[in-house]
Amino acid sequence: MSLIAHGLVARSDLPIPEWLFGWAAAMVLVVSFVALAVLWPQPRLEREHWRPLPGGVGRVLGSRPVEILCGAVGVVLLGVVVYAGLRGTQSPTANFAPTFIYVIFWLGLVPASVLLGDVYKAFNPWRAIGRAVGWTAGRVARADLPAPLTYPDRLGHWPAAAGVFAFAVMELVVSNGDRPENLAIATLIYSALTFVAMALYGVETWIDRGDPYSVYFNLFSRLSPIETRDQVVGLRRPLSGLAALKPGPGTVPLLAVMIGSVTFDGASEAPIWTGIAPDIASFFQDVGVSPQRALELTFFVGLTGTIVLIYCFYRLGVVGAKSVGGGFTTGRLARAFVHSLVPIALAYVAAHYFTLLLFQGQGLSFLASDPLGDGSDLFGTADSQIDYTLIGANATWYWQVAFVVAGHVVALTLAHDRALALYDQAKLAVRSQYWMLAVMVGFTSLALWLLSQANA
Amino acid sequence: MPRNQRILLVVAAIVVAVIAFVIAQPGDDDDEGQSAGNTPAQTESQATTNDEAEATETETEPSPPPEPEVNRIRIRGGSVAGGAKDIEVTRGDTVVIVVSSDAPDDIHLHGYDIEKEVAPGRPARFRFKANAEGAFEIESHVAEDAGRDPLVARLVVQPS
Repeated sequence: MSLIAHGLVARSDLPIPEWLFGWAAAMVLVVSFVALAVLWPQPRLEREHWRPLPGGVGRVLGSRPVEILCGAVGVVLLGVVVYAGLRGTQSPTANFAPTFIYVIFWLGLVPASVLLGDVYKAFNPWRAIGRAVGWTAGRVARADLPAPLTYPDRLGHWPAAAGVFAFAVMELVVSNGDRPENLAIATLIYSALTFVAMALYGVETWIDRGDPYSVYFNLFSRLSPIETRDQVVGLRRPLSGLAALKPGPGTVPLLAVMIGSVTFDGASEAPIWTGIAPDIASFFQDVGVSPQRALELTFFVGLTGTIVLIYCFYRLGVVGAKSVGGGFTTGRLARAFVHSLVPIALAYVAAHYFTLLLFQGQGLSFLASDPLGDGSDLFGTADSQIDYTLIGANATWYWQVAFVVAGHVVALTLAHDRALALYDQAKLAVRSQYWMLAVMVGFTSLALWLLSQANA
Repeated sequence: MPRNQRILLVVAAIVVAVIAFVIAQPGDDDDEGQSAGNTPAQTESQATTNDEAEATETETEPSPPPEPEVNRIRIRGGSVAGGAKDIEVTRGDTVVIVVSSDAPDDIHLHGYDIEKEVAPGRPARFRFKANAEGAFEIESHVAEDAGRDPLVARLVVQPS
């Protein structure tokens, strides 16, 4: 039992029908080979091309007052989440905190980032507080603050990978992970860690390189054509944001955590997991663990195992690509192609969670009016209900398959372009592509299979 | 590869995709054009269901629609007799679920958000029209509060 699916969410998707699974799997292969034949022969995404939004709009959107306003909205929402979590009703569905954290923040910011760019950076309450504190301290001290420590290169994206993993554990493993009080306490612990890290390495450095949620949403925002530079909002060439990603230590594990946690959430409803989970749980009970802890440990093993499998599968493809020659190490190749996993991760999240966002997101309407679940009605919407007829099963299936196939196409395009830039011989670039193609087809088939297994 | 050849290839791939989609998709009952592309097995099974549907329709046409099938769930000693099962219905069906228990309980059908009390000798009777598609859980609040698996049954509403 994936706990978000039990406590917070009332409805789950039906498995995609067999014929659609077959059709989609066949399309993935057709698309792949057509793409290999028709994609451009020279790298196109590596070149920078950015221009501000016309008519001064970009300057206004990126201006200081707008930035302060967005930051203030973020800080107010953070306050409401923590207060509601600590003081409100402890029923997950009647309290503002669980729906806001798991649905609006964690899922809603994904499409927002893909469509509008790095909006989380603008609304990030911890960044706003950090900057406000830095500015005030500078004023009070009437001197430059001591320079922060240099961010150690070998940390790379490891803090982000660890943070996203911790979130997945809270969501999928901890049995009271949707209890408002626990979420409020987790938020406070995260806040403390974030402020310490910001004090050590500087607000912007930590946001750009270490902070889990900033890095997570920034990865998705790189698919967007909208990018802010020097306080001006502008447009860039589509997909060039991902080509400009600078991978470091921990980037591949981060992507493995992103894809692996969604995979595990999907697989935990499938017979493959419900068949073996009781055996693992009874093993833990045999060694003297309480039933509830045994269940948590079982899910922890499942989550971690899935992430490791995803990581190993990608590394396997990279080892294959290395075998074609070119003189690159596996580590170098793994990082060179890791940006092509971002659209795959997006496809997983979109296909698996978009109905959840569509239905549970409507809960924001009554939760905003009654955040504590104490019967108040601030905006007159406390009696509104979730409309479960908003999208039917057929439309859901078509959207899910469309997300998966589109993610596959974008991933192939990115990997193709990178191969052209990386290898000086066209022949090696093409041959390395067969390996990356096998990796993509593997991930995409897994996504389709998970959709066909949901609640089966 | 020349530009025209590439465009041709993409167009050919799209045509293949669309034809494959039409062939693979099981035809809608009210859309005659698509049923021609069905595989024999699918057409056969569909024909049977169509016949059956028509047969029931003609038989019961003069009288009001037949009483829906009653899905009975028995909770004994805190667990569901025979284990939690799926109740499969089609959208638009009128669904009747009767839950009986040997102990007082609150039974909650999520999504449709119907909650009924049940007590020994006083079963809870759910009757509603299934208008939202998807899988919805029916849970026991007493089991949930006691930290046991609360699942009583799942309502699975397939598209019509």
